[in-house]
Amino acid sequence: MTDTRRVDAYEKVTGQAAYGTDRVPEGVAYATLALARIGRGRVSRVDTAAAEAVPGVLLAVTRFDAEELGGAGFIMGGGFAFQSLQPLVDDHIAYRGQPIALIVAETLVAATEAAELVTAEYETEPFAVHLDAEGATTLVQEEAIPLPFLADIKVGDADAAVDASPVRIDSTYEYAAQHAVPMELNGAVVEWHGETLVVHEGTQNAAAVRFGLAQQLGIDAANIEVRSPYVGGGFGQKNSLQPHLGPLALVARRLGRPVKLVLARTQTFHNGSFRPATRHRVRLGADETGKIFAAVHEVDQQTSRHDLFPAMHTEITSRLYGFPAFRGRHRLVQTDVQTPGYMRAPFESSATFAFESAVDELAYATGQDPVALRLANDTMTDPVTGRPFSTRFLAECLRRGAEEFGWAARNPEPRSMRADDGSFVGWGVAAGNYPGSIVPAVAHLTAGADGCVTVGVDGHEMGQGIRSAIALLVSGDLGIPTSDVEVRVGDTRFAAQHLTAGSWGTASALPAVHAGLRELRKHLNAADTGEVDVAAAVQRAGHPVEAEVSTLGPGQPPEALDQAKAGHLAISGPVFPEFSTFSWVAHFVEVRVEPTTCRIRVPRVVSVVDCGRVASPVTAASQVRGGVVWGIGGALREESLADDRFGGFLNATLEEYPIMVNADVHRIDVAFVDEPDLLFNPVGVKGLGEVAMVGVAAAVANAVHHATGKRHHRLPIRLDDVL
Amino acid sequence: MRPFAYLAPTSLADAVDALRDAAPGTKVLAGGTTLYDLMKLGIETPPAVVDVHRLPELNTIETRDDELVFGAGARMADVADHPVVRDAYPALSESLWRAASQQLRNMASVGGNLLQRTRCGYFRGGAEFPCNKREPGSGCAALGGHDRTHALLGAGDACIATYPGDWAVALLAFDAVVDVVGPRGERTVPLAELHVEPGDDPTREHTLDPGELILRIRVPATPAGRGSTYLKIRDRESYAFALASAAVAMTVEDGVIGDCRIALGGVATRPWRAEDAERTLRGAPLTPEAARHAGEVAFAGARPGTYNGFRVELGIRTVADAVRIAAERATR
Repeated sequence: MTDTRRVDAYEKVTGQAAYGTDRVPEGVAYATLALARIGRGRVSRVDTAAAEAVPGVLLAVTRFDAEELGGAGFIMGGGFAFQSLQPLVDDHIAYRGQPIALIVAETLVAATEAAELVTAEYETEPFAVHLDAEGATTLVQEEAIPLPFLADIKVGDADAAVDASPVRIDSTYEYAAQHAVPMELNGAVVEWHGETLVVHEGTQNAAAVRFGLAQQLGIDAANIEVRSPYVGGGFGQKNSLQPHLGPLALVARRLGRPVKLVLARTQTFHNGSFRPATRHRVRLGADETGKIFAAVHEVDQQTSRHDLFPAMHTEITSRLYGFPAFRGRHRLVQTDVQTPGYMRAPFESSATFAFESAVDELAYATGQDPVALRLANDTMTDPVTGRPFSTRFLAECLRRGAEEFGWAARNPEPRSMRADDGSFVGWGVAAGNYPGSIVPAVAHLTAGADGCVTVGVDGHEMGQGIRSAIALLVSGDLGIPTSDVEVRVGDTRFAAQHLTAGSWGTASALPAVHAGLRELRKHLNAADTGEVDVAAAVQRAGHPVEAEVSTLGPGQPPEALDQAKAGHLAISGPVFPEFSTFSWVAHFVEVRVEPTTCRIRVPRVVSVVDCGRVASPVTAASQVRGGVVWGIGGALREESLADDRFGGFLNATLEEYPIMVNADVHRIDVAFVDEPDLLFNPVGVKGLGEVAMVGVAAAVANAVHHATGKRHHRLPIRLDDVL
Repeated sequence: MRPFAYLAPTSLADAVDALRDAAPGTKVLAGGTTLYDLMKLGIETPPAVVDVHRLPELNTIETRDDELVFGAGARMADVADHPVVRDAYPALSESLWRAASQQLRNMASVGGNLLQRTRCGYFRGGAEFPCNKREPGSGCAALGGHDRTHALLGAGDACIATYPGDWAVALLAFDAVVDVVGPRGERTVPLAELHVEPGDDPTREHTLDPGELILRIRVPATPAGRGSTYLKIRDRESYAFALASAAVAMTVEDGVIGDCRIALGGVATRPWRAEDAERTLRGAPLTPEAARHAGEVAFAGARPGTYNGFRVELGIRTVADAVRIAAERATR
């Protein structure tokens, strides 16, 4: 029987897995940051005298010259960094929490003390930190960023069709700004080996770190190595070059010794990206049976003053059901914050909260069962392109989930179901989807005399299990144990290391490894299929046997590979020449609301996922549970607060930013359709990590409505709202 | 964090001497779960700390016929799990179990916990936020700010920071007293007189003098202990401070309430005894209406701000539920 356990579990639980800043090179110095305390303006003077007087302080830098530290550019604007703004190069303060000084000392204690002693004088300017704040600037996205893939989606005359429909839903939903707070704090250890810069950092995008640094420092990317074998949670916050890294490399060179920086938890709330606040208006038009004629989904999304973080909420909602007509619209609201980013299920979590809440409203308005209504609006054709979905097993997800959950026993009447302790019981359902994307990948396989196979491939291991999925593929293909497969990811010495995100990691890496195995078999003089005695074959060859291949997304031009090798994004999908690809999910959630103090609990969840072939069952199920837990947190707990008087984010600690704790998590049953999508790629895998979370918040909110009779239009739903 | 002197006396007598001789601003270090935290934030900057965590004289738990005696250095986890405390005074045990996390309870002392400082985000957040508690005269950023978790009772114009602890609330319901020792010898402070409301000076949070050290907490034995509960309502199931909590202890005979004590947590600037509410229940038959009424009386003086108004109703219901739970236990 195949051993499907997580291949690096032992290293992780025993602490042997070395994450980026776990490294303590000899002679390392420690860096800290001092941060701006105003919402926006200019820093007229930074006083580091007291900081420099602290014993052990080596450097206090408030400004780098433009010649030594250039810009790296916004990753969605052709650059490499999570935002275009590079701190410590001028006097401009764009948001509270922006770095104003970098301290380096012999010890972390000295560096920390010194950073606290930095004082500054400011000229303040008015600022806006909320969607509705005075001074926030609203732009129509397709006018502000005239790129085809960001244009508003329009199918038919949706507005007219909604207006003409006998049943109409018109609802507005709000989703708070949130922070990812991965367990591994942002940070890095950098060291110069002669002319070569080595960067140890937990990142999902070693390529962008490498090429972004090369651009910033004016050096050849060939002289930069980025090593990120493990990422302690990426969640999109680690998807690009972080602004601390260029300064860190410069001070390491100045001092001639390695330098380590680990941001304090509080600092990560302003020095990393976050999920922007959004507001959604959803209009649905349907007949009395709930058959949807048209949908209109309009979104306002927060962005920063210095970057336009593109919104793509309707890419998935336009595909959820078989809409004869659909219109989407995105607007961007510029506020005085760091640039927001792709926090797990970046658009899809809030988009489905809004859209699937509205669909639930439609079910109640028409007296239809929420599962039946969704099934009745199912489609196998992409409403936007008119071409087929490569695979779509949403109906299977809904039917199977309903069966496992026991949905048939649901009394649709709100407040009708009670638990033994008097709690109101609510059952809610929601569907979700996520675009299927593939990026170019290079796989380099080496078979050794010991029978082991080493795989170096584009991809990053951030806990999702890509290392396990690759090891299982190689193990199953060659008939060798997973312990004889060594997987090297997140390391620019072995592959370009294109960004791993958007659920394309496994769907991009596995086809490359799959193709590499075909090539390796040839070089081993082995048959195309069946078990291989690798050690014997290598012995016959007389030397280690290597194979290198590269793969592209369906229909993707070969230039995409060069783009990826230069550290740029090269994403194909979800619309391909012949079909569209999405992953699909259905979540069924039970909530219990206490009769008096009204605490909301989630005793059980059933989630059924169509992610194509399941490449690694253990890590896949774990990934879905993680997404469900976070979805519940998004629905009931998490909100990044901003205070109009001070700017920045207020609840910037793990105490005040209430992520879920173990005691909040109860039964989560996960099932997979497990049907390969062979149009998408020869291995048949689609994305999983993001879709796992999509729709959870909506299912929770719909369950709360069923329990309490109240429809909630703003997340999180807390005691305040249900009392 | 700033450099500081670390003193580790090996006996209680040496600790008292060390505190007497120490520089102004010296702090007692017990579990360190709050003090070190505040030192890292730059809010506490003591020139020296006197570590009493390992003094055996302080790490004691005694359950006598007339009183429970907890050495100030006893760990929260040990007191919470003590069989007599669990069985005869469930409110005390529950107030400890529902605080912090197991790791913190293993470190934190029951004496130090009493003087835990507020979790107000503006107090802890940094110099950009005006805070009369941190920087006297600078103002109060919580007033007109995000005050969802701020105090409804006992607040003033200078400060609306909530006293965050649970344990002191339960002790208050049981008329506990605290024995302290200082440069002028030993004295006993009723728990009800240990904490003070902010008034004009939010920097002053308790009535201990500089150099004074809590020796022990004494809880008079009472049959109301068995009929007690500590009900804590919070934003998540663990590792969170109370949005509202109630310690309720009572005796019930033939359906009529005898003794009754009610203290509130998470809603006031100090542990809050609700004596008016207690009076409405003493001698009264136990009904849902009476329990609700007691809650309403307890919160009669509440002054909500911008976002914390829901906690008045939540607090009332918490008291009512706690009264019901305590009564069930008292009649078992």
